[in-house]
Amino acid sequence: MIAVRGLTKRYGTVLAVDDLTFDVEPGKVTGFLGPNGAGKSTTMRAVLGLDRPTAGTALVNGRPYAALDEPLREVGALLDPGAVHPGRTGRAHLRIAARTNGLPLRRVDEVVEQAGLGAAARRRIGGYSLGMRQRLGIAAALLGDPGVLLFDEPVNGLDLDGVRWIRGLLRRLADEGRTVLVSSHLLSEVEQTAERLVVVGRGRLVADTTTEELLRGLGGRRVRVRCVRPDLLAPALRRRGATVEEVGDAELQVQGLSAEDVGEVADSVRVPLHHLSDVQQSLEEAYLALTAGSVEFAGQDPVPTGADR
Amino acid sequence: MTATRTAGAARVPLPRLLARTCAAEWTRLWTVRTSWWFLLAAAVVLVGLGTVAGVESAGDPAQSGGDPVWAGVTVFVMPAQFALFGLALTAVTSDHATGGIVPALQWTPRRGVLLLARAGVAVATATAAGVVLVLASALAAHTAHPDLTLPVGEGLDALGTVALVVAAGAALGAGLGFLLRSTAGALVAVFLLVLVLPLVLPQFGLAWATSVAEALPGSGAAYLLFGGELPGMSRASSVTVLLAWAAGALLLGWLRLSRSDVR
Ligand SMILES: Nc1ncnc2c1ncn2[C@@H]1O[C@H](COP(=O)(O)OP(=O)(O)OP(=O)(O)O)[C@@H](O)[C@H]1O
Ligand SMILES: [Mg+2]
Repeated sequence: MIAVRGLTKRYGTVLAVDDLTFDVEPGKVTGFLGPNGAGKSTTMRAVLGLDRPTAGTALVNGRPYAALDEPLREVGALLDPGAVHPGRTGRAHLRIAARTNGLPLRRVDEVVEQAGLGAAARRRIGGYSLGMRQRLGIAAALLGDPGVLLFDEPVNGLDLDGVRWIRGLLRRLADEGRTVLVSSHLLSEVEQTAERLVVVGRGRLVADTTTEELLRGLGGRRVRVRCVRPDLLAPALRRRGATVEEVGDAELQVQGLSAEDVGEVADSVRVPLHHLSDVQQSLEEAYLALTAGSVEFAGQDPVPTGADR
Repeated sequence: MTATRTAGAARVPLPRLLARTCAAEWTRLWTVRTSWWFLLAAAVVLVGLGTVAGVESAGDPAQSGGDPVWAGVTVFVMPAQFALFGLALTAVTSDHATGGIVPALQWTPRRGVLLLARAGVAVATATAAGVVLVLASALAAHTAHPDLTLPVGEGLDALGTVALVVAAGAALGAGLGFLLRSTAGALVAVFLLVLVLPLVLPQFGLAWATSVAEALPGSGAAYLLFGGELPGMSRASSVTVLLAWAAGALLLGWLRLSRSDVR
């Protein structure tokens, strides 16, 4: 359980986080979304006691992180995976972590295994690829078997396998009843894993809601379809209640139907499809939409809306 | 699972927390190569100079023998101490240079505990290494020229002085490391305070410059190590100067670590 209350952080003239209030609840993956520079990392650093808030508080399980004697048993966090001494081996790095928190050294082998670090753990971190550093950071976060986990852009720099692995891991951790907060600047990166979304922009809370609601607030999922006879397909789709927009030569953008529905409609009017895909909505778009007043969230106070739903 | 886990955040008694953090710092120190290089450099200087001094005095007919070896070898601490200060200093600055301070504070969020353990382990290691290596230096000299004697009482005095000088200098280095966060910056500051300024300032022949020089840690160290007589300085004043600089640097380092954001 993470509770952020009125958190404000100013770096000189830059207001990085501005009166931010939200909760992260156990048993779910909560996505922490916002464009570059929105204040996600700053918020996480404040939760971990690395940055002193200008105002407000950030509590973990009801206490400030800096007051924890054995923080790794309660909170695991992956921030910048490059922020490690390159001269040590991965195992030495983890062994030091275990020592500081009184954790048994066999946990080191367990998390090395769990994070898929394998033989690389015996090599110097300086020679690690970004993906291996990411895995090392995750191994350290899991070391104390904590109930609260924070991941700052964990899929950055990972290949497809790595991304899939992280998604599975996040889901599993949440299913085990842990509190999981994962930041990203792309909605598409977290929409499959996160049930809740906390969206920030320019340091302020823009939305605190479920993923479903956010997408609906954006006008629902959109599907792109390309075929030889858009003049036949478009009216058929409209008859099924969809909003159809021509976006190019023989290409349609459909709102209000799933890709499966669009496929069936096309089949029923016997139009062969050349392309059919879900449109990935970037958070940038969502963020712009949310702040531009074009959707239902517009005008709402930036207070948590999730608690009463 | 989460319920039991979040029910009570265990309090760890401060001595146990410190002991754990010191154990971690010890591992930190010896799992990077830099520490070994600094230790090797100190060993080469001290044992090497000890051997050379022994060989030289063996070949010098004017030396009748029977001289105690200690006064000679404590002087070798003057150059060797910088390697030991470097060891203590990089134990602090390397984390700031590499970003390793972020996980370090994630694992030990109580900054006072981290500073105490980090400075404590660095200073204790440098001091122990200094004492052992001076002993090795004396034995090397004695081996090269068995006429040089190793009187126990004088030896204990000499080792005590070495321990004090190295501990104070290592604490100065660690404190400056916490304060400046840069290896190069802290090393330059140590060289200025311990070597350059105490030598250069008195050259101006100005009374105030000489007084300033006497208040620098390098003058105190030189007075104690060379065992000479200098007007205006005493053993007590030298010890005071050394300890004041060590404490002051650690205090300033603590102020920076405890107050500022860390990245
Ligand atoms: N140490 C600092 N000094 C000055 N400004 C800072 C500092 N750290 C962050 N900022 C500023 O605070 C704002 C928020 O930065 P932050 O790193 O929290 O954003 P973010 O949401 O994590 O972005 P990204 O998606 O790029 O990681 C940015 O404008 C950034 O430039
Ligand atoms: Mg960031």
